[in-house]
Amino acid sequence: MDDLSMHRLDVDGALAEAAEPLGGVSRAGFLGASLGTSLALLGLGAAQAEARQGASDLDILNYALTLEYLQAAFYTEAERMGALKGRTERAAQTVGAVERAHVAAFQDLLGKQAIRRPSFDFQGVTEKPQAFLKTAVAFEDLAVAAYKGQATNIKAESALAAAVAIHSVEARHAAWMRYLFGANPARTAFDQPASKQEVTQIVRSTNFVTGNPSTKRKRAPRFTG
Amino acid sequence: MRSRRALGLVLGAAALALLGVVLLAPSSSSTAGRNNLPGPPTPALTVGMPSALDGERHVSLWTTVRRPVTARASASSEAEVLARLGRSTPEGTANPLQVLGRTRDASGGVWVRVRLAVLPNGTTGWVPRAAISGYRAVRTRLVVSLRRKRATLLRDGRPVLRAPVGIGLPQWPTPRGRFYVRNKLVRYRSAFYGPLAFGTSARSPVLTDWPGGGFVGIHGTNQPQLIPGRVSHGCIRMRNHDIRRLGRLMPVGTPITIS
Repeated sequence: MDDLSMHRLDVDGALAEAAEPLGGVSRAGFLGASLGTSLALLGLGAAQAEARQGASDLDILNYALTLEYLQAAFYTEAERMGALKGRTERAAQTVGAVERAHVAAFQDLLGKQAIRRPSFDFQGVTEKPQAFLKTAVAFEDLAVAAYKGQATNIKAESALAAAVAIHSVEARHAAWMRYLFGANPARTAFDQPASKQEVTQIVRSTNFVTGNPSTKRKRAPRFTG
Repeated sequence: MRSRRALGLVLGAAALALLGVVLLAPSSSSTAGRNNLPGPPTPALTVGMPSALDGERHVSLWTTVRRPVTARASASSEAEVLARLGRSTPEGTANPLQVLGRTRDASGGVWVRVRLAVLPNGTTGWVPRAAISGYRAVRTRLVVSLRRKRATLLRDGRPVLRAPVGIGLPQWPTPRGRFYVRNKLVRYRSAFYGPLAFGTSARSPVLTDWPGGGFVGIHGTNQPQLIPGRVSHGCIRMRNHDIRRLGRLMPVGTPITIS
């Protein structure tokens, strides 16, 4: 029950389903064409970036913003779908509001240097309470590990202070979601950090980050005129 | 002898106590540096108060077809077939669907109710959640009054653009009902359609053999003097500066009401 890492997420089989070929295009090809590009644009995609020496605070803040985008979109969609009830619904509303506040704060801080909000496809996990909770636990645990993983890389004292302030809030969310899911909120005495590369790999494996659908064409219309 | 020893012990204890007080007492010159830790730095950002989702009644959701799927009359794989949906529109873009609701079937599978771009206009159907992509939200809505020959774009319920329009001639009427924007065509060479055209889910009920399926578009024109008026084969025509403004303000997925 406690083994809830993103590595083991299957979102009720949705991931396995998504791995099927898409209209002649393999999932891998699709990822290469869209998700890969999307993640690269987010600064999440390139393993080389991880290896780059001395990532700037700007990179780290944008990385944090990406995780906040992911979480805010997840809870917002869950609220809009209306599939959650009772304590889980209230938790999703509360945590969602906090994650949106985090997004707004990072956007304010970064201004024009803030990365753009990516597109997400949560593949139905926001529409089934148990799948929602399982994913929420994984997201929150991941966010806690990700913030911790960058703490020693942040150079500016003020940026570190901000990250630590948000990190503890994410930890509370993690405990809350674990409790609602029926998992032990405080299982370990020492939490491990996660590197950007590890986080990127995990997020990529979910296929939750997608490209924008192509809805614009340079093509003459054939409408009725 | 005994009293002298007792006095010595008392004096010794007093001396030790005094020494302890002197060593442990805070010195006014070294207090801050030695014994207190510095205060916390000011965080680089200020996180505002969390706020609930706002203006949700103006939000509409849309998605695209992820894999070819059959739309059915109810949320069941046994229900009547209404349409077969591909991944692309006739214009070659992704195939958007307006999301109207959701439910779960007896086995727990999620089904989504969507508006369909098929005849008769206004048809809605159900597709399995697994066949569609992620949800996207828009806060805009386009209202077209055929009587007033006027289009109004609303954002969060407030008008942000009003423009006169050309509509269908009596023999080729612009259909009434609820529709949505499916795609946006740009940079083509056709003065007739103006600089930009939106594809919609509305279809002409009479021009069913029109190339591409008789879809109703919203586009510019090379005859602005005819607007407003009953001038088209069913499409909604706008003056070019108005369609350009609409192009900047109206995203794909925007619901359309034609009345």
